[in-house]
Amino acid sequence: MDTAIVRVQRFHPETDRRPRLERYSVPLTSDTTVLDALHWIKTEVDGSLTFRRSCRHAICGSCAMNVNGRNVLVCKTSLAREVGKGRPVTIRPLPYLPVIKDLVVDRSSFWEQYLRVKPWLVPPEQAPAKEFRMLPEEVAALQNAETCILCGACYSACQVVGLTKEYIGPHALLKAFLRVLDPRDTLPGERLAEVSGHDGAFRCHTIFNCIEACPKGLNPTQAIETLRLLAQKRERFEAERRDRLSQWAKAGSAP
Amino acid sequence: MRWFQLQRLSAVALVIFLTVHMVVLHYPPFHIDFSRIIERMAQPLWKAIDIAFLFFVLLHALTGTYAVLTDLQAVARFRRILAGSAIGLGVAGFIYGAATILAFHPPA
Amino acid sequence: MYRSSGFISFFLRRLTGVALVLYLGAHLWVIGSATQGPAVFDARLAAVQSPFFKLAEIALLGAVWYHAFDGVRLLLVNWFRVTSYRASLLYTALVMTVLLTVMGGLPILLFLLEG
Repeated sequence: MDTAIVRVQRFHPETDRRPRLERYSVPLTSDTTVLDALHWIKTEVDGSLTFRRSCRHAICGSCAMNVNGRNVLVCKTSLAREVGKGRPVTIRPLPYLPVIKDLVVDRSSFWEQYLRVKPWLVPPEQAPAKEFRMLPEEVAALQNAETCILCGACYSACQVVGLTKEYIGPHALLKAFLRVLDPRDTLPGERLAEVSGHDGAFRCHTIFNCIEACPKGLNPTQAIETLRLLAQKRERFEAERRDRLSQWAKAGSAP
Repeated sequence: MRWFQLQRLSAVALVIFLTVHMVVLHYPPFHIDFSRIIERMAQPLWKAIDIAFLFFVLLHALTGTYAVLTDLQAVARFRRILAGSAIGLGVAGFIYGAATILAFHPPA
Repeated sequence: MYRSSGFISFFLRRLTGVALVLYLGAHLWVIGSATQGPAVFDARLAAVQSPFFKLAEIALLGAVWYHAFDGVRLLLVNWFRVTSYRASLLYTALVMTVLLTVMGGLPILLFLLEG
């Protein structure tokens, strides 16, 4: 049976003053994920090891952590591949966020910024008679941003977030982009105003860490650039949206 | 948003002005002293170019410094003071610099 | 700090920016003395023509080029959909910086060595 050495950052606030790295020797097969390794440590070695996880197939977003310097979902990170990089595999919690215990971080600022952009669709009060007709290109533009699983990897990788928690963050800006570009949304002006302040889309310094970190291959940077362009022609965009909404209204409402 | 736009605008302007500056001044011969600049600086055209250059440089330098400072959470609370200082420094610097450029004349 | 090539670019951009702002102050102080007549001007200029300053000038050139090319990279990302080329854009900016710094620095170096 092959084994691998992993180093895990441990921190128990009741007993530790500072975090420390503990070494464990875990069983290794070609299928072992880093999450498997953490589970093995918790069951066989130290039941106090604390970490978040749920679905274990990269859809819930709970298990985002920092492995060998990169933010990843540990449920889909191959341990063998990490070992193959020649260094001991180091597992730390997501950076730039306060550590609650071991690998669990406080994501309050992540959620606050998320709620700040009103991440839900605000459609017109009257739905059209049949459906909201949209062009395939309009739907395609939203496709990418819709698959965000809110894992926090991008937010926690962003150096601007590292410098100041006032920054809205790539996750919320991606969501704002999703809603702004949705032709059914009635609040584009308000949304663009919210993200064009000093801590919004113009605070992004195009470092690209969000793209590198995203386990779903999303592109918050491109979304932020689009928001920047739209924010600079906000009134025109709002007018176009009003026209679009009135077209649907004219088509007659649902019975 | 305005800071961002100003920074980008001044960046584009500087690319042009800097190229002109480098070509005019720093092409060989490399030795620079008073006599080398004396004729150029007396001409109104070059005074105008240098004043515009100064304007965009100050704009870019101050918006850049403002961005660097306000990114730090500790400093962000003083955003308004920093903004005011940046504008103040810019205006003062520009007036002083433009006056100096305009005042330059070859000694008799 | 989260390690990535993007961070290096960001950090260098900030570093060169701050360095250039400081240089700007010194530069304006030297050049601004032109109104005080040739004696003062030439004296100040001579003070910053020593070998140490000439080498610093080459470093300055490097800083200017890097800052400019990284800035152009930002403009491209802003105006065009090129995020998938981010690695090659950074690489190009670095190569251009080295090339142009060497091109501009070599004459300064030669001038220094023969002067």
